[in-house]
Amino acid sequence: MMSVLASDTRRDMEIRRYPVLVYTLVPLAALVLQAWLPRVLGRFAWFDLPLVVTVYFALGRRSPVQGTLLGAFMGLFEDALSHHAIGANGIAKTLAGFLAASVGVCIDVENHTIRLALNFLLSLMCSGVYLFIYRFLLALDLDWSWMAELCKALGNSVIALFLFPLLDRTQIRD
Amino acid sequence: MEPFFVRYRNLLVLLLVLLAQIIGLAVQVRRTAAGRNLLDTQDGPGVRLIRLWAEGIVSPPERLIHGSKIGSVQIWQDYLDLRHVREQNQDLQKTIDRLRLEQASLLEDARQGQRLQALLDFQQKYVYKTVAAQAIGASGSDQSRILYLDKGKDFGLEPDMAVIVADGIVGKVREVFPHTAQVLLISDQTSGAGVILETTRTRGILRGNAAGQVLIVGILADQRIQPGEKVLTAGGDQIFPRGLPVGVVEKVVRDPDRDAFIDIFVKPAAHLDRLDEVVVITSTLPRFSTEQEKDLATSETLKGPEVEQAKAQKKAAEIMAERLPSLIDPKLPLDQQPLHDTSLPTSVPHVPQAIHPDRFTPGSAIMPDLSNTKGKEGTDSATPAKPAGQKTAAADPSSPGLAAKKGSATNLAAPPAKTEHKPGEPLRRNP
Repeated sequence: MMSVLASDTRRDMEIRRYPVLVYTLVPLAALVLQAWLPRVLGRFAWFDLPLVVTVYFALGRRSPVQGTLLGAFMGLFEDALSHHAIGANGIAKTLAGFLAASVGVCIDVENHTIRLALNFLLSLMCSGVYLFIYRFLLALDLDWSWMAELCKALGNSVIALFLFPLLDRTQIRD
Repeated sequence: MEPFFVRYRNLLVLLLVLLAQIIGLAVQVRRTAAGRNLLDTQDGPGVRLIRLWAEGIVSPPERLIHGSKIGSVQIWQDYLDLRHVREQNQDLQKTIDRLRLEQASLLEDARQGQRLQALLDFQQKYVYKTVAAQAIGASGSDQSRILYLDKGKDFGLEPDMAVIVADGIVGKVREVFPHTAQVLLISDQTSGAGVILETTRTRGILRGNAAGQVLIVGILADQRIQPGEKVLTAGGDQIFPRGLPVGVVEKVVRDPDRDAFIDIFVKPAAHLDRLDEVVVITSTLPRFSTEQEKDLATSETLKGPEVEQAKAQKKAAEIMAERLPSLIDPKLPLDQQPLHDTSLPTSVPHVPQAIHPDRFTPGSAIMPDLSNTKGKEGTDSATPAKPAGQKTAAADPSSPGLAAKKGSATNLAAPPAKTEHKPGEPLRRNP
């Protein structure tokens, strides 16, 4: 077991550290499950596991750079699995990772209500950014259902409520 | 300069990452001559490489999950849950027999159809070669309704091949990787398939919407289009062969953007949310495949004599119908033939009661005086008609209609056996 990064900032005690295995396998598992579960759940797959994992690690690491890079990786990976332009999800999740990490510096990320609200708001923001990129930046036709996005945001919040405490157990404690 | 980069490191990294992705997006979009932006239907080499890597990372775990799921399900289905299998087997055997009978009777029509098509130079494509594949994954996004198959270029799959299941069409192959393939479902917004309504023969383009529903767009308002009508592939898109089931019309709504047009929501015949095994049509040719030919030959061998017998019986019935036109009406189905018509009266109608009875009245005890009837011939039609009717019926006893008339005439002619009649009283009907 080894930590991902050495603690070298003034927020040593606040930054969470995880085993390398968790830091690599959890995002990968999220991507695989996101690709596989919709086949099982059909149209009731109201969640975005890569976004939840991005938000979790961004909040935990409290590093906007790491949040940005992780968000970009997750988003680009999701785009690559779809048939849409590669980059739309990437930009949305890059912003989500950056914002989550920036907010994580200022607030108590242990609070369940804050986690729930953050996931809900960041999910909606991601959807909004995705829509903006498609309709305005790329000027492409895209049917949109805000109800589905609302359901997805709620689903993300509920999943985060159960997943975050589970992932908390994997962190390295001094 | 160093303090600036250190101070704004986070923002600079964010901007760099965003800028790189925006440039990447711009490369993938092209502007058409009409001024509209479109995504490239075929990915460029760079984009394809990224997709290949992503698919290469995700598909092994997906195969593993799918394989373990199939294994456990198969153990349950093949070894543990075998109730009612014998009954099902018997039912299936009966179904096979029935289908073979139908197939043998349709064989000649099919061959004739092929000959005529060849004569008319009309290239009706038949499904010639297929590859069965398992759906192992999806894109994971509502905006992209994509399915991943466990077979790719190694099994001869190519872009734009039709993907179907037994119930109906599923989509088309979009991208092919060495060991997997990407299928664009018909419920995706960017999909398109030429379809035709079975009854009204209205043609349209099938596509999906944001909610994953399937609809036919750009159709002029038509009152004849009703829910429940079947939708089939039209065959004009060069992807799906003609006549494959697509689904049924679920509802018809007015196009919100164009007044004169309607949108037809279709309930897909294939369960797009629960796809497991699919079939990719890898080849279509203007003739039957070897397997189909073999199957037809088997049907002909097994059920040919029965079909011939059924045809002979049908022919005999037709000959009978020609000879006895009153027995069988060729325009009516069997259960509505006159002989089977129970609504017709079976007994002879009663003679109306005479208002002014005389000696010619049926049932009258007074013998008619023929010398007095000479001047009345032609005015009283009932009396002279009786012998004529009797004569005709006797001449052709095989005719049931005439036989009925004969019976009627006999009844009319028969004297009342035990009727008491008092002079001056009106005659009573003889039951």
